[in-house]
Amino acid sequence: MNEVATPTQHAALAARVSEACAAAGLVGEPQAEALEALEALDYPTTRQERWKYTRAARLLKVTPTASAPLQAPPVVVESLDALRFTFVAGQHISGETLDEGAEGCFVGPVSVALERYPERLKAWSNSAFATQEWFAALQASAPQDGVCILVPAGHKLQRPVLAHHHMPDGAHVAQPRHLVHIGDHASAEAVLWSDNTSHAEGMMNAAITASVGNGASLSLEIIQDEPGTVHHMGHHHFTQGSNSNLTVRTATACAHWLRNDLHILQDGTHADSTFHGCYLPNGDQFVDHHTRIDHAHPDGQSNELYKGLAADKSTAVFNGKIMVHKDAQRIEAYQSNRNLLLGEQAAMYAKPELEIYADDVRCSHGCTTGQFDKEALFYLRSRGMTETAANNLLVQAFLAEVLDGFRPEIRDHVHSVFARRLGWI
Amino acid sequence: MLKIDNLHARIGDTEILKGLSLELGAGEVHAIMGPNGSGKSTLASILAGREDYEVTQGSISFDGVDLLELDATERAVAGIFLAFQYPVEIPGVSNINFLRTALNSIREQRAEEPLSGKDFLAKVKACAQLVELDGKLRDRSVNEGFSGGEKKRNEVFQMAMLEPKLAVLDETDSGLDIDALRIVAHGVNSMRGADRSFLVITHYQRLLDHIVPDFVHVLAGGRIVHSGGKELALELEEKGYDWIVDAEAAEQA
Repeated sequence: MNEVATPTQHAALAARVSEACAAAGLVGEPQAEALEALEALDYPTTRQERWKYTRAARLLKVTPTASAPLQAPPVVVESLDALRFTFVAGQHISGETLDEGAEGCFVGPVSVALERYPERLKAWSNSAFATQEWFAALQASAPQDGVCILVPAGHKLQRPVLAHHHMPDGAHVAQPRHLVHIGDHASAEAVLWSDNTSHAEGMMNAAITASVGNGASLSLEIIQDEPGTVHHMGHHHFTQGSNSNLTVRTATACAHWLRNDLHILQDGTHADSTFHGCYLPNGDQFVDHHTRIDHAHPDGQSNELYKGLAADKSTAVFNGKIMVHKDAQRIEAYQSNRNLLLGEQAAMYAKPELEIYADDVRCSHGCTTGQFDKEALFYLRSRGMTETAANNLLVQAFLAEVLDGFRPEIRDHVHSVFARRLGWI
Repeated sequence: MLKIDNLHARIGDTEILKGLSLELGAGEVHAIMGPNGSGKSTLASILAGREDYEVTQGSISFDGVDLLELDATERAVAGIFLAFQYPVEIPGVSNINFLRTALNSIREQRAEEPLSGKDFLAKVKACAQLVELDGKLRDRSVNEGFSGGEKKRNEVFQMAMLEPKLAVLDETDSGLDIDALRIVAHGVNSMRGADRSFLVITHYQRLLDHIVPDFVHVLAGGRIVHSGGKELALELEEKGYDWIVDAEAAEQA
C-alpha cells in the first residue's frame, strides 16, 4: 500500500503545474515562503497520518495540455440575485467589479484588487496552509485568479456574492485563490461554486483565505458539483476575531476525487463558528473532508456537523480535529459526523480528534456509520411509495439537517444532483 | 375479497405458518386471536409484503389477484393497509410530507391525478379529527417522540387517509389506555363499510368490545384451529386457549 514518490516525480509535477499556470496567467507574486516550502515539504503519502486514507500519488500523473479556451459556462442558480463573477480554469472571464473606492467595499477579481489596492491585501492574504502542505505550497507558488471580497469596518455587503469557477473539457490545471476580508463589525454573504464539464480532467488546486474581524460576520456556502475526472484539492483557511460569527457550509454534490482541508482559527474571545458539510460519492469516487478548528481564546463556540452517504464502491473520509488551547477556557465545541453506507463495497473512514489543553470546557463529538433502516423503507413502501420515492425521502431526511442551512435554490440543486446520481429521479 | 389457502411460511429455518386457510368477504370484520408465538404477526407481515418471510406453500388471492406476486408497494396500491404493531420513527420526514408523498405515489400508480393542495389539507383535517390527532403531531417527524397511544392513533389516521379495501390491524390495542383504545376503535368503526374489510389481530378481548367482529378465529401452531362468531372472543377470555388447542390436538390424533 505504501507509495513512494521520488523527488523527481513530484518536482516534475510542480514544474508542469507552475508552467501551465504561468502560461495561462498568474495573479500577483508567488509567496517566497511557498516556494521554499515546496522544496522542503514532503509530498503527501499514506504513511503520513493526515493522508492515511488519501492516495495523493495518483495526482503525480496529472499532465496539463494546452490552455483552456475561455468560454462562458452555463449560468448556475439563475434565480439567485447576486454579484456574479465567473472564472474558467483560473482566469477571470466575466463579472462587474463593485468598487466603492479605497474606503469602501470591493468585490471583484483578485487580479483587479491587486492592481487597485495592493496595500489593502498585504497584511493577511497569505495562506497559512502554504507552509504546511505540499499542495497548498504549490498553489501559493503559482496562484491564479479568484474572487476578492473586501468589506471595510462597519459596512454590510448588501447583495450576496456568487463566484463561479468552471473547468472546461480537457486536461487543465487551475489554482484559483479567493480572498475575503471582513472588517470589524462588517458583514457579507458569499457562494463559491465550482463545477466542471463531464469531459474535464486534470487538477483544481484552490485556496480560500478569509479573515473575519471583531464583531464581524461571514456566511459562506461552498458548492462542489464536478462531474468529469478532475482531482480537486481545497485549502480553506479562516481567521476569526473576537465576537465574530462565521458560517461555512460545504456541499460536495459531485466529485471524482476531492480533498477539502478546512481550518478555522478563533483568534479572539467569544467567537462563534458553524461549519456544516455533506457529501455523496458514488461509483468509484473519493471524497475527503479534513477539518480543524483552533480555539485559541476563551469563551468561543463551535458547531460542526458533517453528514454523508457513500454508494457503490466509493470511499468517503471525514477527519475532524478540535484543538482547545491552554487558557482557552469556557469553550463549547460540538462535533457530529453521521454516515450511511449504501453499497457493500463502499467505505467510510471517520476520525474525530480532540485535543484539549484547557480544563473548563464543554466538548462533545459523535460519529456514526450505518446503513439504511430497512424497517423504515418497508414502512414507507407499505404506504404505497415506490422504492425510489421511499429512498429519496429517506436521503432527503438524512441530509436535511445540513442541506436546509443552504439557500433554498442551492439546497434544491444539490438534492437534485444527489437524487439524479443515485437514479432516484 | 381475501382468500388464504393452505399457507405455509417460514423465516430462516423456522416454520411459522403451517397450512393456514382463511376467507374474508367484502365489508366483513374478522378477528384473529391466539397464544403468543402462534403466527399472528407473521400473517400480518406476509399480507403486507414483508420480505423477511418465505412462503413455501399455499396461495393468497386478493380481489382475484395473486397477492404473492406483488411487492409491498404494489399491495398498498391494490388497497391493502397494515397498521403496524411497532410503527417506525422516521426523523426528518414530517407526517404531512410523508402522507402527501404516499398518497400521490399511490394515485400515480393508479393513473389518477395528484390530489390538489386544498383537497389534501381538507382530507388531513377530517381524518385527524377522526382520531383526535393534534395539529402539532401532523407537522412533526413521522412517529418521532410520539407516545405509544399517539403512534397507534397515527396509524389509524394514515389508514383513514389512504382508504384501503383491506385493513390489517396488528395488535393495534397493545400499549393503549382505555381512552386511546376508545378513540382508535371509534376511528376504525367509522371507516367500516360494505367495500372495506378488516382483519383485527389481538391478544385481548377488550378491543373486540369496541370493534365488534363478524367472525373470530383462533390461530395456534401456525393454523386456524377454531372459528366462531363474536361470542367466541368472550369464551376465550374466560377459558383461555388451552381447551381449543387441546381439542384440536385430540382431533388430529
